Amino acid sequence: MVDIVFSIGITALAGALATVAGAAEDVESDIGSQGDPNSQVQLAPQMGYIHRIYNKAIAGEPPAWGLWIALGAGIAWAFMVMQLNPILAIVLGAGLATFVQGVYSTTAYLGRTASLSKFGQPVYIDIIKSMTTVTMAHAFVAIFATVTICYLMNAALGHPFPLPLLGLVWGIALGAAGSATGNPYYGKERQYQTQNFGAGVPISASGNIVRYAEAGERNSLDNGFFTAKLGGPASGVCFGLIVFLELWRTVLFENVGAGWGAIIVGVIIILIFTVMDRFIEVWARKNYGPYTKPTEETSS
Amino acid sequence: MSVKIEVIEGGIPHQKILIAGLVLAVIGLYLSYLNVLLGTQMFAFFGGLAAIAALVWGSHSIKILASYGIGTGVPSAGMIAFGSGVIAFLFATKFGVLAPIVAIILAAIIGAILGYLANEVLSMHIPVMIKSLTEMAVVGALTLMGFSAMISGSFTFSALTSTPTSVIGKLLAMFLGSPNAATTSFSLYIGGALIATVFLLGAIAIQHGFNACLGPGWKQDRMLMLTAECGFLSMIVAAVMSAALINPAAAILSFIIGLVGWYYTYMKYIELSKRDAASWLDAKPIPEVVEGH
Repeated sequence: MVDIVFSIGITALAGALATVAGAAEDVESDIGSQGDPNSQVQLAPQMGYIHRIYNKAIAGEPPAWGLWIALGAGIAWAFMVMQLNPILAIVLGAGLATFVQGVYSTTAYLGRTASLSKFGQPVYIDIIKSMTTVTMAHAFVAIFATVTICYLMNAALGHPFPLPLLGLVWGIALGAAGSATGNPYYGKERQYQTQNFGAGVPISASGNIVRYAEAGERNSLDNGFFTAKLGGPASGVCFGLIVFLELWRTVLFENVGAGWGAIIVGVIIILIFTVMDRFIEVWARKNYGPYTKPTEETSS
Repeated sequence: MSVKIEVIEGGIPHQKILIAGLVLAVIGLYLSYLNVLLGTQMFAFFGGLAAIAALVWGSHSIKILASYGIGTGVPSAGMIAFGSGVIAFLFATKFGVLAPIVAIILAAIIGAILGYLANEVLSMHIPVMIKSLTEMAVVGALTLMGFSAMISGSFTFSALTSTPTSVIGKLLAMFLGSPNAATTSFSLYIGGALIATVFLLGAIAIQHGFNACLGPGWKQDRMLMLTAECGFLSMIVAAVMSAALINPAAAILSFIIGLVGWYYTYMKYIELSKRDAASWLDAKPIPEVVEGH
């Protein structure tokens, strides 16, 4: 009984950490325009829209985050094997992984922007200076929280995988959660705020992303501020639920039917979510419907 | 589908980069084998240099392959390079001193099969597919072998699976999470999955060069310099991890070489970006663009 209570406590802690990690990951990638919204940032100068948005295309988010987390976990683990205190080891691992993330970000921005010289897109050094550090700060939070989750699974819940392998698996999951949940909010809402709601993005509007602010010019820090309100927390809830439900079903039902209990509960959870998603989709379609031309008001 | 959209103009021909990368990687791997011959670990850093040579070659292969209009899949090229390379690498480590040669041959066979499947079964029909996937599998295997030699001191199977019992205490039993862990033989590199970290370090490093530099203003020297920079950056963190497996002096030597190489290539890359950029501005507004696109 004590075992179950302890494990559920760890599960709750891991879920909370995952929520923080997911939120930080999404804001990081939105400030850097990583993931699918990147295509429009990359396209904009080619359509004549020179911008001051940070364009750090390192890879899709899942592989990139797979590396940051696996690297943080690998280094932390190497330090733990050298008899370093686990908390200190995780901090050092996350710190070094953040350094690698920062260097990759700068080279990605420089490379992409220099290759767009034909269209007159300048390299803004102040963007590198001010935005790389902000993405690194968010990345540190996400890496530290996720490596800690992996450590908790390994050391407290007795997961058989070693730390770097857990880091790889959960890093890819973290990147996928942020990419799937938070990015649409940045890519489809923020970048095309000037378009009519529900109008979609016609070809003629491709690359015409929001570049000017209420006063002055938009930069990626504004995008981080914008997405921190809904996109980031939504990604956090997504990744938090993934981690929490995954551990919860394992902790409670692993001993039912020689492990099959946990698998069956997992399938049931997926089915419940599928039904929920279907209801939300139908509800949204009914309420917002397809885009229709505004009916002309007859002036009387 | 298979319309070539970007042509490489000027620069070093691919054949030269291929031969240079292959030869340097094999030489580097055999120099790291001096560790075994001389009973030391100081030559571990040659493994990292071998990996960088292979990565530079691999990034140019990705450029060739991605010229055929599959530009959105650049990171996946890195994944398939290492996914196919890791099989050849692990099998080859069983062959002791012949490991690099066996890895090259086996990886080439695996890559060719994958290329054939992609081209004929999945009907992609990209002319360079088989050749490029063959090259990339070899690059993946050599890079993994290079970083493995750097982190664990040697690329042989026994070195990769041996337990440095002197540094590992009770902690391991906890990490493995099973009560029998203390009695089962345990390896830090493969069993401890440091290889998972190395896998992604290499897979991201190999694709980043082209993924970051693609576009109408692509330049060969800038891309290759960036890949070398990614390689040295990976070497720095690999050196930190190697401290758990090899003696501190060898790890520090790898670390310093990685740091110096990284600083040099990073500065060079910034210089090249400055050369190619339209303009280099600090806190300036968006310039007025002449209308008429």
